[in-house]
Amino acid sequence: MISMSSILSSRSGLILFFLCLVPLATAYLDQGDYLLRICSTAYLYMLLALGLNVVTGFTGLLDLGYVGFYLIGGYTAGLLMARLGWSYWAALPVAAIHGGLWGLLRGAPTLRLTGDYFAIVTFGFSELLFRIVKNEEWLIGGPNGFVNDIPAPTLFGYELWQYWQQYYHILILLILTLLVVYRLHNSRIGRAWQAISQDEEAAQTMGINLHEYKSLAFAISAAIGAIGGAFFAQFQVNISAGVFEFWESILILCMIVLGGIGTLKGALIGAAILGSLGEVLRISLSWMRLPADSRYLIFGAILVMMMRFRPAGILRSTQKSP
Amino acid sequence: MTLFLEQIVNGLVLGGIYALIAVGYTMVYGVIQLINFAHGEIFMFGAYFTFLCLAVLKFPLWLAVLASILLCALMGVVIDLIAYRPLRNAPRLSALITAIGISLILQNLARMIWGAEPRRDLANAKSAFLSQTVIIPGGAQLSYLDLSIIILAILLMVGLNRLISLTRIGKAMRACAQDKMAASLMGIDTNRVIGATFAIGSALGAVAGIMVGMRETIEPTMGYYKGVAAFAAAVLGGIGNITGAMLGGVVLGIAEVLGAGYISSGYRVAISYILMILVIVFRPAGLLGRASAKRA
Repeated sequence: MISMSSILSSRSGLILFFLCLVPLATAYLDQGDYLLRICSTAYLYMLLALGLNVVTGFTGLLDLGYVGFYLIGGYTAGLLMARLGWSYWAALPVAAIHGGLWGLLRGAPTLRLTGDYFAIVTFGFSELLFRIVKNEEWLIGGPNGFVNDIPAPTLFGYELWQYWQQYYHILILLILTLLVVYRLHNSRIGRAWQAISQDEEAAQTMGINLHEYKSLAFAISAAIGAIGGAFFAQFQVNISAGVFEFWESILILCMIVLGGIGTLKGALIGAAILGSLGEVLRISLSWMRLPADSRYLIFGAILVMMMRFRPAGILRSTQKSP
Repeated sequence: MTLFLEQIVNGLVLGGIYALIAVGYTMVYGVIQLINFAHGEIFMFGAYFTFLCLAVLKFPLWLAVLASILLCALMGVVIDLIAYRPLRNAPRLSALITAIGISLILQNLARMIWGAEPRRDLANAKSAFLSQTVIIPGGAQLSYLDLSIIILAILLMVGLNRLISLTRIGKAMRACAQDKMAASLMGIDTNRVIGATFAIGSALGAVAGIMVGMRETIEPTMGYYKGVAAFAAAVLGGIGNITGAMLGGVVLGIAEVLGAGYISSGYRVAISYILMILVIVFRPAGLLGRASAKRA
C-alpha cells in the first residue's frame, strides 16, 4: 500500500484532518448547520465528479447523461427503504450494483461506434429515465416523488439524521470512492483507459481489449453515480424527478472541465468550487433580482472559456489532458 | 378517421418544422463533425428576434421575419467564428463541450432578457389570412398557417437540395464533408464554406422558429425541446445526410403526434429519445446512411 501513502501524504492528510474538524467548529456558529449542509452538498458533487471523470476523463468519452445514474441510485435506494423497509446499508450496495448494470447496458450499443454516438445515447438515456420517473406516478407517488418517506439510516441503533452525521457520512463515502478511483487510475486498468482516450486504434494494437476496458469504466462510473444518488435520497428525505434534469449532468460536466478533465485533483477542486458556488449564486442572484436559473449562464460561460483558454483546467496540471 | 387524418396532418406540419431544424444539425455535422448543440437556441432566437422586430421596432410582419432570418444566419456565423473555429484542431471533446456551453449561455440569456413565461405575441401577430381554415377531403380541418408551413418546408427543402447539388458553394460543401484537407488543397476556402454552412442551417432554423412561434408559443426552452427532437430526426435519417434529415423529420413528426394521441401524452417528448436510441442500437447509420458503422 505504498501508493496509498502517497495520496495520504502529509498535505492530503492535513487537509483531511481539517475537514474532519469542520463540524466541531461549526457547532459554535449560528449558521453552522447551513454551512455543514453546503459542505455535504459539495462533497456529494465531488463524489459525482469523480464518477463522471472515470468515463469522460479517463476514457475520453463525453457522458451527457450522468445524472441518470444519480437518479437510478436515488430511486432504487428510495424505493427499497421507503416501500420495502430495507436498511440503508443494504440498499446502498444494491443501488450501486443496479446503477453499474445500467451503466453496462447503456454503454453496450455504443462500443463499436464513435464517441459522438456515446454522447447521444447517454443524453437520450438520462432524459428517458427522467420522463419515466416524472410520468409513472404509481411507481413513486407522483411528480412530487417520495414525500418525507425515506427513513434515516441507523448505525448501532442511532439514527443518522443530524447535519454533522450526514457530513461524516458523505465524507467517508467520498474518501472511499477517491481511494478506489485513485487505485484504478494508477493501475494497469487506468493506463489502459488512458491509452484508449489518446488513441483507440493504437491502444487496440497494443493488445488492450477496448470493449472490456470501456465497459469496466462505464460500470464503475455508473456505480459511483448511483452511490451518490442513494446518499442523496436519505439526505434529502424526499426526492423528486425535478432534481434529475439534463442541466444537472451538465453542471457535473462543468465541474470536471473547470478542474481539468482527466485528473482526480481537478475533479475534486472543480466540484468543490462549483458545488459551493451554486449555493452562493442562488443567494446572490436573488439579491440582483435575477432568476436562479441564470446561474447556468455562468456555467455555460465557464465551459466555453475553459475549452478556449485553459483546456487542461484551472490548475493547468503538468499532466497532459486527453 | 377524421381524427386520425387530422393527426397525420399535424404530424406532417411538425415533421416539416423538425426537418427544417434537423438539416441545420446534419449540415454542420457533415462538414465539421460537430454536434452543434447551440442550433436549437438559434431556432429559439429566430422566434424571439421576430417578436422583437414586431413589438419594439414596429416592423411589418414580412420585414420582421426577413430581419430575423438574417440575424440568425449572422448569429450562426459569429458563433462558429468566435467559439468553434479556434478549436478546429483541438480534440473533438473540446468543441462538443463548447457547443453545450454556448447553448447554455444563449438559452439563459433569452430567459434573462425576455423572461421564462411563454409568449403568444407571434401567434397573435400572424395575419388574419393565416388564421383561416380549410376543410381537406376526409373532413379534417387545416389552417392556412399549417398549409403554408408544409408548402414552405417542401419548397425550402427542394431549394436546399438544388443548392447543395447544383451550385458552386454546394459543391464546395460536399467536398468539405468528404475530406476537408483534400478540399483545401484543391483551393477551397474551407472556413468560408463552413461559415456558409452555419449561415444556411441557421437561417432555416430561424424559419422553423418563426413557424413554431406562430403556431404555438415562444419560450426560452423551446430551442431545447424542439432542438433535441430535431436532432433525433437527424440521427434517425443518418447524421450528415441531408435527405435523411428531411425524411427523419417527417417520420418523427408523425410518430410523435400519433404516439401522443394514442399511447400517452406524457411521453410525447420521450418518443424522440426512444426512436433515437433504437436507431443507434439497431441501425447507427440511420435510415438513409450507408450501412457501415463509423469508427473513431
